[in-house]
Amino acid sequence: MMPFQPGGDAPESGEPGPIVVSARFEAIEIDLLRLAATQLVDMLDAATTDPQSALTDPAFQRLLPDAYRDDPEAAAEFRRFTSDDLLAAKARNARSVLDTLNEAPGFDSPGFDSAGEELTDLDRTDLDLVHETEPEASVELDATETVAITLDAAAVQAWLRTLTDLRLTLAERLLIGPDGEIRLEGEEASFLGGLYDWLGMVQESLVYAIDV
Amino acid sequence: MALTVELPDLDLRDSVSLERPWITLVWDDPVNLMSYVSYVFRSYFGVPAAEAERLMLQVHNNGRAVVATGNREAMERHVQAMHGFGLWATLAKDDA
Repeated sequence: MMPFQPGGDAPESGEPGPIVVSARFEAIEIDLLRLAATQLVDMLDAATTDPQSALTDPAFQRLLPDAYRDDPEAAAEFRRFTSDDLLAAKARNARSVLDTLNEAPGFDSPGFDSAGEELTDLDRTDLDLVHETEPEASVELDATETVAITLDAAAVQAWLRTLTDLRLTLAERLLIGPDGEIRLEGEEASFLGGLYDWLGMVQESLVYAIDV
Repeated sequence: MALTVELPDLDLRDSVSLERPWITLVWDDPVNLMSYVSYVFRSYFGVPAAEAERLMLQVHNNGRAVVATGNREAMERHVQAMHGFGLWATLAKDDA
């Protein structure tokens, strides 16, 4: 990935707003980000449909933390009034990221259908399944091919928030404690940990690009 | 002759400010990047960069920072907005 920078090429016709930042991603990175965002959308949609079961997923304690620390009743009430809107906004942001990825010029969604099929067969709330479609498996992708990603102001907001939500969810899967240490062990931990760090790098470059 | 005194048109939100105010707290979490937290404070609360940086460092070093003070409804709106950004925020009555 070549980091986000202010500005970009001339906007395609029909784009909603002027481009504020642009970056280049490898095709594999686009695929990985799309996979992760798709799973986030699935997870958020499932939570909207069945809020009770979502409460049992500790990732939602990070995505929608208690608004009152010492007042469970007030926290529950706050959740009742805000969780629908927050979940919908988070799903909207992740879909906006997917739109950007799918509309990226010169990228014809390699492996998307097969990845999408695989997704529906697996545990919807488990980001671990990214592991099943590790880049190495996508042999048809050319790792050296880069894709331009350009974001307008609205897309920047969606990307910042979705990158955060992905990292919050991954942090739960990686059993990251208050000290920031990864407690999950094994091969999976190293892959998910790599993804977690990479998403952080993408976000950091995006924050710096708009902070001028 | 009946003597009537009309109540002034009080804005209840103003009278709330006579009570102990509520605060919005943002807590340190191991996930969010310092640059992003600082950006959120700057863009959402509209504080200058130096103040956003100070608040972010307070979160990072002290584990939390008070980022807003006011009535309960306003603090609930801030907390909801912070959760939208993915920050760990709560509200409470001001102890001070």
